Amino acid sequence: MSDRTETTDGTGRERGADASSSARGTETDPLLRIEDVRKSYGDEEVLRGIDLEIDRGDVEVLVGPSGSGKSTLLRCLNRLTEVDSGHIYLGDTEITASDADPNAVRQQIGMVFQDINLFAHLTARKNITLGLRKVRGLSKNEARQRADSELDRVGLADQADSYPAQLSGGQKQRVGIARALAMDPEVMLFDEPTSALDPELSNEVLEVMQGLVAEGMTMVVVTHEMRFARGGADEITFLAEGEIVERGPPERLFENPERERTKRFFESIRHE
Amino acid sequence: MSVADALGIDTGRLRESTDDLGRVAMVVVGIAFWGWLVTRWLYDWTLGRWEIGPGAGENFLSPAPLEGVADALEGSVVALGPVRIPVDPLATLADGIALAIDIAPALATGAWYTIVLTTVAIVLGFFIAVPMAVLRVYGGPFRWLALAYTELIRGTPLLAQLFVLYYTPYLALWLNDAPVVGEGFVPDYAFWIAIIGFTINGSAYQAEYIRGALESVDEGQLTAARAIGLSKLEGIRHVVLPQTLRYAIPAWTNELVYLIKYSSLAGFITVPELYYRASRIASSTFEYTPIFTLLALVYLGIVLSATNLMTRVERRVAVPGIGQAEGRQQG
Repeated sequence: MSDRTETTDGTGRERGADASSSARGTETDPLLRIEDVRKSYGDEEVLRGIDLEIDRGDVEVLVGPSGSGKSTLLRCLNRLTEVDSGHIYLGDTEITASDADPNAVRQQIGMVFQDINLFAHLTARKNITLGLRKVRGLSKNEARQRADSELDRVGLADQADSYPAQLSGGQKQRVGIARALAMDPEVMLFDEPTSALDPELSNEVLEVMQGLVAEGMTMVVVTHEMRFARGGADEITFLAEGEIVERGPPERLFENPERERTKRFFESIRHE
Repeated sequence: MSVADALGIDTGRLRESTDDLGRVAMVVVGIAFWGWLVTRWLYDWTLGRWEIGPGAGENFLSPAPLEGVADALEGSVVALGPVRIPVDPLATLADGIALAIDIAPALATGAWYTIVLTTVAIVLGFFIAVPMAVLRVYGGPFRWLALAYTELIRGTPLLAQLFVLYYTPYLALWLNDAPVVGEGFVPDYAFWIAIIGFTINGSAYQAEYIRGALESVDEGQLTAARAIGLSKLEGIRHVVLPQTLRYAIPAWTNELVYLIKYSSLAGFITVPELYYRASRIASSTFEYTPIFTLLALVYLGIVLSATNLMTRVERRVAVPGIGQAEGRQQG
């Protein structure tokens, strides 16, 4: 899917040097560019200089032990969390620029949450029309049509009038995905979209996500679902202690990781 | 085996029929109560003014016959063979009904002021309370403003607040000089001061209830709202508040009930509401016990109507998974 040259360097520091030197070339078309992003909560540095480039249409899976900073990194990408230093670019615009409007940024970057967070007082359809009406300014009818087609896309056309409390976990998460897709984002962020679901409910969500992969959606996915990582990811980035330990295509990272830390991690989740 | 089973009584059906009976009784009492109030108000504003019929504020029925009955029964005894039954309680009852007829017009007029005062104050207070609660929860460095407002209002007696407003010369004079105040249907300035006082006081309490409900809405709701590009305020407005207000209805109803009864304090600044009317009559007739019993019954009627209305509102806006109406219906 991507023709970008593979970087197999080990640490964020090295990758930082790589990223700045690759700025000369135009052979790749990174949609998301993350440069030396750092973030601390109090004394705890959760992101210690992250450099990453994600091409248009690629699927990037972020893995790592809990506390490795992967969710924080994801939230920095749509400015739900503000970075302390460093830069993030979406195409040519700097998301992290002080004059960038975070609300405008978020319209271009959809997000799906671990705890789903459907608007509890609204039906599935209205969960989707809210953003279309208030953010996109669509008319009631346009918004309704768009919402219904998004629900159809995730296989829930028949649940348009159900409230979140009446849906199963998997159905809720599919509505969550439809809600984000309706805003026509350039990138979709998934923050552990299946980890709150029973395994059998995860499948229906993973299927929807695989469908998006096939459509060529650019996706950044934090997940422990190695089935998805193996089948859908172009690149897997392994983070630990706020740094990128290793990055590469799934086969290589699973079968033949360069770093001992990576190897241990994949062995530990294989035993789960 | 219970007694009911032994007697072959279907308790389920019995309960159902007594429930129905209770409901019918409530509806009948409700219609009688509001029928009386509305008839009285309409009459006093129109026909009574034009001196058709007994006149504004005058009784529709004469209490004289009942008073006669009471006088006749008082002290007398009915003999049933060897058993002699004193009928004094009947005399007291006849007396009470006669008194009720006598003071009904005054209570109805008072109830009008009580209801208008409470309704206007709770609605205006609501529109202050919502921003206050939002400021308190999401206001960042400005939280203390909302906190100070709430604590100042909650921490001082309502009566003191009313007196401060009433005796502050500028406000009273300005209101008194306002062109329409105290003319025709527009109440006197004391009423407007009471509205201001109750609005402010009620808003502080309402803000506390709404704050509690705001905090019970999951943080992720606002995060999700912002993730689709809504601003923080839009997210609060369209996502957090609609849930908050549903959660807040039971506590808010409690505040409404309090305010209906607290509005009696307006009587102390000469607003002619229920309590004021009753106490004026009581101090001239010295019939304190029956008059305040009747007064309490009128308050009870208003309060029960208000809670009934709010239960309907709660059910009407109920959404599966939010609030308590659903669970309550299932019993």
